[in-house]
Amino acid sequence: MRVLAVADVGRMILKGGSARVHEPLAARFAPGDRVIAKNVNPVGHTRLPRYVRGRRGVVARDHGVFVFPDTHAAGLGRKPQHVYSVRFAARDLWGPDASPRDAIYVDLWDDYLDPEGDR
Amino acid sequence: MSGGHEHEHDVEYTAPLGETELRVKALESLLTEKGLVDPRALDELIDLYEARVGPRNGARVVARAWVDPAYRKRLLENASAAIAELGFTGRQGEDMVVLENTPRVHNMVVCTLCSCYPWPVLGLPPVWYKSPPYRSRAVLDPRGVLREFGVAVGDEVEVRVWDSTAEVRYLVLPERPPDTEGRSEEELAALVTRDSMIGVGRPKAPERRPR
Amino acid sequence: MNGVHDLGGLHGFGPVVAEADEPVFHAEWERRAFALTLAAGFLGEWNIDMSRWAREQMPPARYLAASYYEHWLWGLEHLLVERGLLTREELEARVAVLRRGEAR
Repeated sequence: MRVLAVADVGRMILKGGSARVHEPLAARFAPGDRVIAKNVNPVGHTRLPRYVRGRRGVVARDHGVFVFPDTHAAGLGRKPQHVYSVRFAARDLWGPDASPRDAIYVDLWDDYLDPEGDR
Repeated sequence: MSGGHEHEHDVEYTAPLGETELRVKALESLLTEKGLVDPRALDELIDLYEARVGPRNGARVVARAWVDPAYRKRLLENASAAIAELGFTGRQGEDMVVLENTPRVHNMVVCTLCSCYPWPVLGLPPVWYKSPPYRSRAVLDPRGVLREFGVAVGDEVEVRVWDSTAEVRYLVLPERPPDTEGRSEEELAALVTRDSMIGVGRPKAPERRPR
Repeated sequence: MNGVHDLGGLHGFGPVVAEADEPVFHAEWERRAFALTLAAGFLGEWNIDMSRWAREQMPPARYLAASYYEHWLWGLEHLLVERGLLTREELEARVAVLRRGEAR
């Protein structure tokens, strides 16, 4: 085990530890693609919030390849995959009382998404 | 800042449970005895985030983007690299994206699942950012939340809320205040507030210069 | 996990109340809990996703009543005990010793 020494603090903090994975993995989606966030209810750790599950959105940008938290938190490996910023219209999440202009952008991994045509 | 200030909500999320202080002391003394932590390293970590890393860093990024169009372009295209040019890197800011506010688009940032926040440019998050009222309602009623912060956003403006669910961290590039032509980068940085870089505030108006 | 930490879209928590000129930490124990968490994380016995997962396992009623650094403290205790770096008994015994000291 590495014990943090005073002299290491600055370096440790300034270097950080990116969860980005530099592997040229294929992206399942591209900006503009219509997707559905999966409706799943895993008992373990997940970063797929309940409020988008089963909802339709559009891929706004591809952030690149990152460690997958669901497996990483369980000690089951990094399972690297693309993360996308997915745009959900406020009305698609919250109904007609929401502003017709507004949108919520949620960062979602490949494994959280299906193409819209799948349903 | 808020309308309807209610004291009960104020204390609810800041007051420790009765035994918390004892538990932290117990933990530190045990881990120190076991050689797992060095208390001097703890002091150094605290000093770093209390005195050296904070929203003044982000304000410098914003001010640079306001005065230097080439920097602004780099910042919007590759935020991590552009922010690193000013020396701000590291933990909880490894992969940055900058969101530009315009007359048509207002961006605001939240982390509904925990309290992810871009530490290298903003420091550690304020209590309200980490608390249930903001985390629950920023995505559901962003305009209502903005009103509580005194920010009016017109119907013609699109509000974009960014939920930091992954390891990407977001910084809002607010609009440069009017009547700031000719101001130095340093003067402009002084106008940039923490809240304006989260997207729940606007930069300060400049003080009038004596003629 | 369908936990209470997943707060997006809930009602009932009241208005967002910001503190003017808020300090970075509100108490000495917050400073120490913050730094202990980062330093213990440096040991390399767990990753950031495991840290978040640990905090999410705090009992829901306690999670909602607790502050941010109390979530961190709970998660840190949980991970240290789970990894065998500390036993629950050791920790409670030390808390008891300190409590007696405080009462003196």
